[in-house]
Amino acid sequence: MAHARPIATTRSATGIPTPRLAIWWIVASEVVIFGGLLGVYLMHRIGHPEWAEAASHTQTWLGAINTFVLLTSSFTAVLAHQAAEKGKGKEAAKLLGFTILGAMMFLMIKSYEWYGEIAAGYTITANTFWSFYYTAAGLHALHVIAGAIIMGFIAVDAYRGRELHRVEIIGIYWHFVDVVWIFLFPLLYIAK
Amino acid sequence: MSENNDGHDDGHHVNYRGIYIALLILFLISVAGPEIGERMGLPWLTLVTAFGIAIVKARLVINNFMHLAWEKRIMKWVLATSVILMFLMVAGVSPDVMNHEGNNWENLAAKEAVQRGLAEAAGYSNEEGEAAEEAEVVVAAGFSAATSYGQICATCHGAEGAGDGIAGAGLDPAPANFTDLAFWNDPIRTDNVRERVLTVIRDGGPAIGASALMAPWGALYTDDQLEEMVDFVLSFRPNP
Ligand code: HEC
Repeated sequence: MAHARPIATTRSATGIPTPRLAIWWIVASEVVIFGGLLGVYLMHRIGHPEWAEAASHTQTWLGAINTFVLLTSSFTAVLAHQAAEKGKGKEAAKLLGFTILGAMMFLMIKSYEWYGEIAAGYTITANTFWSFYYTAAGLHALHVIAGAIIMGFIAVDAYRGRELHRVEIIGIYWHFVDVVWIFLFPLLYIAK
Repeated sequence: MSENNDGHDDGHHVNYRGIYIALLILFLISVAGPEIGERMGLPWLTLVTAFGIAIVKARLVINNFMHLAWEKRIMKWVLATSVILMFLMVAGVSPDVMNHEGNNWENLAAKEAVQRGLAEAAGYSNEEGEAAEEAEVVVAAGFSAATSYGQICATCHGAEGAGDGIAGAGLDPAPANFTDLAFWNDPIRTDNVRERVLTVIRDGGPAIGASALMAPWGALYTDDQLEEMVDFVLSFRPNP
C-alpha cells in the first residue's frame, strides 16, 4: 500500500476502519433525517390533493438534467476511489475534480431553477408544498455544497499522494447524497 | 476476503462503467414512464416506474458504489436499524397526519388547507375573471350547514344543540344550550339575534362579550355559508 495509515484506522473493534465506520455512522443518521423529511412529504402529498396543482409547476427537465449530473458525478467519484486503491493519487485527484465540477453544475442548475420559481411567486412561504420543496431540496443542496468543499481538500491531498484512503470515505458520502436525490427526483418532479 | 487491515480487498471486480450505464438506462425509463403512462391511460405506471426504479437505482449505488455489499455485516445492521426506525416513526404518525378526522377529533386546519388549495388551483387553471367564481363554487360544493354543525359545533354544543357535546362537558362556562327557551329570551338576544349569532360564529365569544372558549370559525365559511350556519343554529330554538 502506497499510503501511510492514521493510527486510528489500525484499531477497530468492528473490523471496519475507523474513518469508514465514522462515515457510515453519518450516513445512518442522515437516513433518519432525509427519510423522515421525505416520509412526511409523502404523507402530506397523499393527504392533500391540492398539492398536485403546486407540484405540477416543478420543472421536470431541470430535475432530470440534475439527476444525470449527480449520477455521473457518483460515477467519477467511484472511479476516483478505484484509482486511489491502486495508489494513483494524481488520477484520483483529477476524478475528484470532475466530481466537484458535477457538484457545481448541479448547484448552478438548481439556482437557475429556484430563481425562476421564486420570480414566479413560488416562494418557500407560498404554501406547504413549496415549503417542503425548498426545505428538502435545500437541505440536499447544503449536503452537495459541504461534500464539494471537503472533496476539494481531499483532492489536493490525493494529488500529493497523501491520505488516499479518504477518497473512498468522501465517495461513500457523495453516493449517499446521490441516493437522496434519486428519491427526491421522483417525489418532487415525476409523480405529479 | 483477505485479512487486509483496510478491511477491503482491492477491486471488487465491479464493472463500474456497466453499473453507470444501467443507472442511466433506469433513469431514462423513470423519466419516460409518466409520458407513456399518460398516453396509455395507466396512471399507476408512473408510480411503478418512478418509485420502483428509484429503489433499484439506490440499491445499485449503495451496493456497488458505496460497496455496502462487501462491508462487514454489523454495518448493514446499523444502517438497517436506521431505516427501520425511520419507517416506524413515519408509520406511527401517519394515521394522524394522513387522516383529517377521527373518532373524537378533526384537523380543521388541514381540511381548510385542502379546500383553500383546491379552490386556488381551480382559480389558477382559469384565466382572469372566472377564477374567483370558480373558486367559490369549489368551496361551496357539498357544503351543508347541518353537516358542518355536526362536524364542528356538535362536539361542544351537542348534536341536538342541547349544549351536551363530549368536548363541552368540562367547559366553564358551559357551551350554550340552543334548545333552552330561557337562553333565547335573555334580553341580550331578543333584538338582533341574527347579528349576534353571526358575529359569535365568525369572530368568537369575545366579540360579543362572551367566553373565548367559543372560538372564531369565520375562516371556515363564506358569507353565504355563515348565514346558513346562523339559520341552522336558530332552528334549534323551541317555539314559545
Ligand atoms: C370548543 C367548544 C365549542 C365549539 C366547537 C363551538 N362552540 Fe359555540 N360556544 C362554546 C361555549 C363555551 C359557549 C358559551 C360562551 C359563553 O357563554 O361565554 C358557546 C356559545 C355559542 C353561542 C351563543 C353565543 C351567545 O349568544 O351567547 C353560539 C350561537 C355558538 N356558540 C355557536 C357555535 C357554532 C355555530 C359552532 C360551530 C361552528 C360552535 N359554536 C362551536 C363552545 C364551543
